[in-house]
Amino acid sequence: MLDRGDLDKLVRVVAETRESEIGCDECFEQMDRFAEMEFSGPDAATVMPLVHDHLSKCEDCQETYEALLIAIRVE
Amino acid sequence: MQGRTNEQWLTELRGPNPSEALADLYDLLVRGLRAALGGRAEANIEDFAQEALLKITNNLDSFRGESRFTTWAKKIAMNVALTELKRRRWRDVSLQDLLDRRTATGRGLADPQLTPEQAAFQNMVLAKVRDLIDEELTDRQREAVVAVILEGMPIAEVARRMGTNQNALYKLLHDARKKLKLRMEAVGLPPQGVLAALDAG
Repeated sequence: MLDRGDLDKLVRVVAETRESEIGCDECFEQMDRFAEMEFSGPDAATVMPLVHDHLSKCEDCQETYEALLIAIRVE
Repeated sequence: MQGRTNEQWLTELRGPNPSEALADLYDLLVRGLRAALGGRAEANIEDFAQEALLKITNNLDSFRGESRFTTWAKKIAMNVALTELKRRRWRDVSLQDLLDRRTATGRGLADPQLTPEQAAFQNMVLAKVRDLIDEELTDRQREAVVAVILEGMPIAEVARRMGTNQNALYKLLHDARKKLKLRMEAVGLPPQGVLAALDAG
């Protein structure tokens, strides 16, 4: 059930696994603050590393986040 | 009226005459959804905005004031729309078919371009990781790993089919990744080292 392409994908996500990661709910809760920081504040990834980490690992949340970054510019 | 402060939004939406604030917020959500999702959702933008508006007004107490109110509201709208779009896009995909197909197809081993030593290493790692997946993961963890990590199915959609929610499935995957990481290290195949070796191959 695993070929070379799978192995790369799987080992990559396993290698990036941290002991402590936040879940989707916690990421979503902080996503608005994180998004505004991307525009104005200090470096969002430094201030909120767990949100940054979750977004890099969860395509579902990443997709919502990218949409929010566009919508945020609409006044 | 645009340009309200957070306090003004909350006061108006909670007040006796919220209709102007509701109309402005609805309009803002429609424009935000249109900008972010464009053609993917055009026919449903107004429905999504309406659904989001309801969710927002029902959950005003959960706004913690850590961003602009409108950013928080847009976040909810994006989530409403993308959850529904994902549901539709994956509607016809059965998790069981996805898993069965994977078991049925004979999958090739190492890349034929490799030297015999590289191919032997890859085959050894493949065999070992396969064993770890079979022996160390629960059935649910294995299904989630295959569907999300290997097949690229959205976590929310896999969760729906497994009778759980997105947050719980992320946690289940996190546990599975942690277990594989520990076990790979224990059998002398630390994932970083394996990656470096695979990349060199």
